[in-house]
Amino acid sequence: MAWELATYPADLLREPEPVEGVEVEIVPAGSPVRVTHVLDAVEPRIRPDGRAAFPINGPAGEGRTNRLDGVVVLSCLDFPGEERPLHEQESIVDFGGPGASLTPFADMTAVVLTFSPGGGGHVAIDADARRTTLAVAEEVARGTLDAEPDEVESFELGSADESLPAVAALIQLSDLGALYIQYVYGVPAGEAGLPRAVDPAELLDGAITCGEYHWAAMRNPTWFFQRNELIRTLYREHGRTLRFAGVVLMRGYEQSAADKQLAAERAAAVAGEIGAEGVVITTDAGGNSHTDVMLTCRACEQAGIRTTVVLAEETDPESTKPILTDWVREADSIVSTGNVEELVDAWTPERIIGGELLLDGTPAAEAGPIPVRNYLGAANQMGQLALSARTE
Amino acid sequence: MKAVHYLNQFFAGMGGEEQAETPPTRLDGAVGPGRGLQAELEGVEIVATLACGDDYFAEHEDEALAVLLEMLAEIAPDVLVAGPAFGSGRYGYACARLAASAAGRGIPAVAAMHEENPGVSEAGSAYVVPTAVNVAGMRDALPRLGALAAALASGRELGSAQEEGYFVRGFRRNYVAEETGAERAVELLLSKLAGETRTEVGGDMDRVEPPPPVADLSSALVALVTEAGCVPQGNPDHLQSVRAQGWFRYDLGGADTLASGHYESVHGGFDVTLANEDPNRLVPLDTVRGLERAGRVGRVHESLYTTTGNGTPVVLATKFGEEIAGELRDSGVQAVLLSGT
Repeated sequence: MAWELATYPADLLREPEPVEGVEVEIVPAGSPVRVTHVLDAVEPRIRPDGRAAFPINGPAGEGRTNRLDGVVVLSCLDFPGEERPLHEQESIVDFGGPGASLTPFADMTAVVLTFSPGGGGHVAIDADARRTTLAVAEEVARGTLDAEPDEVESFELGSADESLPAVAALIQLSDLGALYIQYVYGVPAGEAGLPRAVDPAELLDGAITCGEYHWAAMRNPTWFFQRNELIRTLYREHGRTLRFAGVVLMRGYEQSAADKQLAAERAAAVAGEIGAEGVVITTDAGGNSHTDVMLTCRACEQAGIRTTVVLAEETDPESTKPILTDWVREADSIVSTGNVEELVDAWTPERIIGGELLLDGTPAAEAGPIPVRNYLGAANQMGQLALSARTE
Repeated sequence: MKAVHYLNQFFAGMGGEEQAETPPTRLDGAVGPGRGLQAELEGVEIVATLACGDDYFAEHEDEALAVLLEMLAEIAPDVLVAGPAFGSGRYGYACARLAASAAGRGIPAVAAMHEENPGVSEAGSAYVVPTAVNVAGMRDALPRLGALAAALASGRELGSAQEEGYFVRGFRRNYVAEETGAERAVELLLSKLAGETRTEVGGDMDRVEPPPPVADLSSALVALVTEAGCVPQGNPDHLQSVRAQGWFRYDLGGADTLASGHYESVHGGFDVTLANEDPNRLVPLDTVRGLERAGRVGRVHESLYTTTGNGTPVVLATKFGEEIAGELRDSGVQAVLLSGT
């Protein structure tokens, strides 16, 4: 089945209708602006056939979807300081200064939504913000419906030389509980029947959305799924250097040792079922999700499927000591997406959007050097960006 | 820009082995190999040479460093250059230690020596340029040493060890690769499938081999240790819920159980609701006391060790572990029940 992605220029951007409790601001690329408390980043998308751009009843990855090129919707929210099990971490996008090199969004026109949370608790506030953000991302792309696209890409996996190695992407999605959840067709990853194989185009077409607000740099916001560099690379290489065998979604943050082991083995089994000889395993967030990745790496290798793992490092910049939260001997091929503990030089923005104080109470305009950790997606572990670390 | 050059007594022209006890001495301008080095230092002047006997440094390291650093502080150079020391172990060590100390005080520093010189691993965050094993390599060494020193003095951000020609120091530094992580991952995987395994993160992780099993648990002193953020109710010592800066020791006072309302978890990385209804499920004191009464566990150590394992840099977590393990060992603890979350 083919899916077409039609690209339209940014000047078709429509300013969204006012939404109660949301401040909307359009930030031009390269502005001297720091955006704080960023929850998610979404590419404006709409479907000419009227189906939802971020479907909850599936399927995505069919027909045609329109995108606005060079535009991103950023949602910002400072949750009320109520008692709750999991806490969002600071998340920054700098449109200027040294931090701008850590994000793809600094070169885009941003529609920044700053939510003023009402009552109802963090779960309801978050659900409302996510729903509104996706709706705005759809609304601002509406101008594409009466316009001619600059480009139409077709995503279809034709037959490929059987002698090429079959390669799959094994994508980890977080589900640790409220505020640390990624969604598959609107369903929390932990309830979405994972691991399972999906069509790669589904992932590019809004099937996965992000409600995971752990360490900002290690987050995969919705935009990173819509524009997923790994999936696009595998499409590009299909029939050239490899056969793209498909995508397996699996959950990160399984909650018991037995569940972690079981999930790892089942993910390896699904990769085997779609014929993968090799998989790139991606990661979301940190801590015990890294254990999930390592166990999955081991399970795949034991099943005869070769692996490359994509991970961020978490080491003290002044240390030459080990650098990963977890590691197994089978993880002998690792891509580093950078060290989240390294500091980014201080920068004084002219304006702050999202909230004047960082979550730790520091004034966002005079925050001094900020660790990579706090920059949205900077060391994301799907390989979306080019940041890496090396031994010097 | 100003440079200070460090030499041993021999290269500073003060004498051979018989002068190896010479204490730190400040000389004006470039001396000995410093003259050749000066020719390679574009835009940088060697304003002083510091010299010290190799034996003196080895035998009085703290005093020697203190005096040399004081001299450096007075001059406030833009860069410190040490050596080349070639294969000389004592000289290389002195060069490396001084360079490391200077770098630690914010003075850019570079030394030069042979790859097998023990000083190479003592230079901390200072740079070390490779040289031949003996003085015959001076002509090759000075241009490379000079180029790196001039770059450091100018404040230019250095490239990788490979690009700039210094020994790998072991620090992980971020850089922007030419390809995205995704492209590199596909490339690494295809390479591995073709039989050549490569990695961007070396597989030399710190693996702790488990000690042999406890021979007789019924006579062992057993301690409870946790990273579950479990603390007395109210968190009197303000243990952090994330990125803990330390660990705490709490006296169990002979308690049989970690009662709800007396203990709580402040861990910020998981939902503590159920844990706080019964803290024994984080630190199973109730069960271990039962085993103690049944004679299956010798004795429960009366100190609970706790921290929060949530976003803690590995270097800090390693330090906590070493400190706690040291106390447990000194207390005669033979077994630990370590509950993680």
